Amino acid sequence: MSKLGQVVEAVENYNEFVLKEVKRARTDETFGQQMVDRWNDVKSKTPIGTAPTGLKLPRLALPEIDEAGEITRYLLGEGLPGEFPFTNGAYREMYLEPLRELEAGSYGRVGKNGKNGHKKNGKNGAKAAAPKAVEVEEPTRLFSGLGLAEDTNARFHFLTGHQRSARLSTAFDGPTLYGIDSDAEGVFGKIGEGGLAIDTYEDMVRLYDGFDMGSSAFSASMTISGPAPIIMAMYIAAAKKRFGPNVVPNLRGTIQADIFKEVQAQNETIFPTEASLRFLCDMIEWTTKEMPRWYPVSISGYHIGEAGATPVQQAAYTVSNGFAYAEMLAARGIPVDQFGPRLSFFLDCGLDVEYIALARVSRRIWAIGMRDVFGAGPKAQMFKLHTQTSGRSLVAAEFKNNLTRTAAELMLAYMNGTNSCHSNSADEPFTTPSEEWIRLAAHGQAILLDESGIFKHTMNMLSGSPGMKAVERAVEAAMLEEFRQIEEFGGVLPAIEHRYQRSQIQNAAHRYEEQIYNGTRPIIALTKYNDLKDEMPEVKMVRTPRAKKQLQVDRLAKFKKRNAEKAKRALDKLAEVVESGENCFPTLIEVVEVCSLGQITGRLQEIVGHFRPMV
Amino acid sequence: MAAPIRVLTAVPICDGHDSAINTINLEFIRHGIEVVYLGYHRYATDMVRAAIQEDVKALGISSYNGGHVEFFSEVARLLKKQGADYIKVFGGGGGTITGNDDVIMRKNGIDKIFFAGTSLADMVDYVHKHYGGTHKPFRGRKPSADMQLARKLTEIEDRYAGKKGKRPTSNVQRSTSKGRQGSKKTGTRVFGFTGPGGAGKTTLIDELVLRLLHREPKARIAILSHDPSVVGAGALLGDRATMINSQNERVFMRSMATRGQAGGLSPATEDCLMLLAQSGFDYVIIETVGTGQEAMPFQTGLVHKTVLVMNPDYGSRLQLQKIVMLDLADIVVVNKSDQERARTATSEIGSRLDQNKRSQILVSTVANRHRDAGVDELCDLLTEDRRL
Repeated sequence: MSKLGQVVEAVENYNEFVLKEVKRARTDETFGQQMVDRWNDVKSKTPIGTAPTGLKLPRLALPEIDEAGEITRYLLGEGLPGEFPFTNGAYREMYLEPLRELEAGSYGRVGKNGKNGHKKNGKNGAKAAAPKAVEVEEPTRLFSGLGLAEDTNARFHFLTGHQRSARLSTAFDGPTLYGIDSDAEGVFGKIGEGGLAIDTYEDMVRLYDGFDMGSSAFSASMTISGPAPIIMAMYIAAAKKRFGPNVVPNLRGTIQADIFKEVQAQNETIFPTEASLRFLCDMIEWTTKEMPRWYPVSISGYHIGEAGATPVQQAAYTVSNGFAYAEMLAARGIPVDQFGPRLSFFLDCGLDVEYIALARVSRRIWAIGMRDVFGAGPKAQMFKLHTQTSGRSLVAAEFKNNLTRTAAELMLAYMNGTNSCHSNSADEPFTTPSEEWIRLAAHGQAILLDESGIFKHTMNMLSGSPGMKAVERAVEAAMLEEFRQIEEFGGVLPAIEHRYQRSQIQNAAHRYEEQIYNGTRPIIALTKYNDLKDEMPEVKMVRTPRAKKQLQVDRLAKFKKRNAEKAKRALDKLAEVVESGENCFPTLIEVVEVCSLGQITGRLQEIVGHFRPMV
Repeated sequence: MAAPIRVLTAVPICDGHDSAINTINLEFIRHGIEVVYLGYHRYATDMVRAAIQEDVKALGISSYNGGHVEFFSEVARLLKKQGADYIKVFGGGGGTITGNDDVIMRKNGIDKIFFAGTSLADMVDYVHKHYGGTHKPFRGRKPSADMQLARKLTEIEDRYAGKKGKRPTSNVQRSTSKGRQGSKKTGTRVFGFTGPGGAGKTTLIDELVLRLLHREPKARIAILSHDPSVVGAGALLGDRATMINSQNERVFMRSMATRGQAGGLSPATEDCLMLLAQSGFDYVIIETVGTGQEAMPFQTGLVHKTVLVMNPDYGSRLQLQKIVMLDLADIVVVNKSDQERARTATSEIGSRLDQNKRSQILVSTVANRHRDAGVDELCDLLTEDRRL
């Protein structure tokens, strides 16, 4: 049995355990009384906040139950926010605004978005909850990348100028995602389209210019997987160049680096799976030790969802991929409490009903599996989640409707307690977001979190409705069933080799498309209320001018010429380390100072081969 | 009955968005169209070469991450440059392709862009309406060797369309003895690969091609690959998508649908193979559909060496007795020999081959492992008489 099969058993056992404890609380008076005491204690210590209207509200809302069995079912079955099994949230207070006055209780404010550990903040809570608002990061994190490094840099400054913290999220162009240099044959038209072009670590220096990369108010996310270890090495080299070697342990951020979902859905893989996983584990092993604040893999369902998977498939494949990484890293001898807290997740949020509870269920299964199968401590049990609203749900016809679609999806994402979130721009069916629409996308989140009172006064504001519970139960059962299917192949990797996930996703995509045109899935202004004769709307297109593309090619040529001799030696050294089987990541950090992305990819492919696409 | 429409579909370089094209491929197949799928992250030059060799009516491109104006235009330019603009280019990319882009692209020779919101049915309709019918003869300057060969193969295939079981008269020399003599004179070696589905035939052939191209810098290779037709419908011919090393200037590849014939080959295969064997290639490789191996799929006169590719997971020893091909193949490959069961499989198959007393050779490979020594050995075995 692979670890995934054990996870299925662990969840089933845990569910049984909860039922038994519920019974025990009803029959064993002492135990029952303990649970009731705990419940009353939590309630009495819950601080009371005040809404701008003067309405007083507890900062944590709890179900109106007073019977020992039901209390036990709640506390063990779903847990308080920030407590095992984390159904209601990875952290205690998530998006709550800072307490203006300390009105009750003594526990303090905890990290708003998950980056600040719960425990640590809990200890000096009283201080942290003082009237002076604590500097915390906004959960808004908008994915950006266009043109060359300096263009994306300008967009980053535009997006974060008014924020307390700079949480950047970087999109790369096609050649970069495939580890190809901008001067390669046949890719000129792709330079700087759909993301920015990175060829060398000098581009990386330009990309984050003006930001303090070592600051605790700065974090960078990089959405790239195939060549992720090389790009990560460039990031480190760029930071060292600007801030010296001591900056490395302070670097904060995330790199996607998710090979499994690439092979299952997104297809941006450049080395054979086995070799890709080796390079990835090399990077994770090094960064979890040397850069303890970095997330070296973002286990992603977004692209699985966008490729057409149902929400259950998306969550099931993502969480099972997570367990597969955990199994691999544990097999390398890395302690689970070293790598566990550095695994993060990324899900899609669309309009299907499953999204009411998809992240809640994922968080619960992850926590149980990590604790009971991998023996993880509390920090490694937490499913830390970034959500993006669904790009696939956006439609070109009467595209301003996309604002409403995204708003509804944002609501679902925050109901699910996501730790950070990207809201799509309404113009995304046509173009890399223009400033006009990306501004509205960012404002959408601010309206929900800052302007409206929905999420800032009380935790659990929308948790646990009967409908949500019904969805939760159905989704959990369906996810476990998917796990069993994967387990029948012998686990995640063998299932991948049999194309299991790919074919399931493709079938779901085809069904989705059929449903749009047979009326099962009405799409407003496309298949329903589509009386307006559709003209292509006037949208400002964001494209990279030819001259810029040429500039990137020219800069790369200069870099290559300048480093020609050093590059040869560096690549030889890299080849030697790779062949030896040693961890090659430290060498990569040196190599990127004199080699371009394409040079490194090319040399590695000579050694380990090319990825053979799956259909 | 007219021959099915053949189209080639692909996704441009640096683009892995294959959800749309997968769905469209599926829809095309259901409506009787044969789709040669080249895969994602593909160069314009590879698309053009493949479209010419497959002699498709149209080339469909699905592009989602920008640069489409340049890419589509480059494909049209390359087709025109080679005198192959009889192949129409169509495509789409959701909302990323604007009306303005469409104007430029059409001016550059693109036949049709499907905009966001086009239904699958409308696309199928368009293909049936505009890309049906027989090929028109080449016009203008002299067509290239690839173009001529590709067209002859189409003519053979078309002659068989709708004439199940009957042999149409053929321009190709049918005498097997002559065929064999002819190929000997030109030094063409023909290898036949067969084996159950999932054994890794396609990967193995592609790795073999990589080695042949590397060892013999001037060698030219032809590949005839087969995929099953869906009953009453088209076919997805997807081998090109995984055969990354075979998308090469020195390789001529043709994908064929079985069009209702059992046994892993098409009614037109024999004639097509004969033509390829006479066309001056150094190697011709033919691959069957994954079949039950109840009989020898190849006409023995045409194929110099037959290779049976097995998966260690064939089940019990009893299952092995049912595989007739084990008695007939010259070389038996146990692929995926890194799997747990491989050791047992190798010894079971080995003792079966020993009983045959036919000096058949057993090779163990892991085709999907880079630089696999087993594939090197297979390559040596297949080419030994050429190197002598």
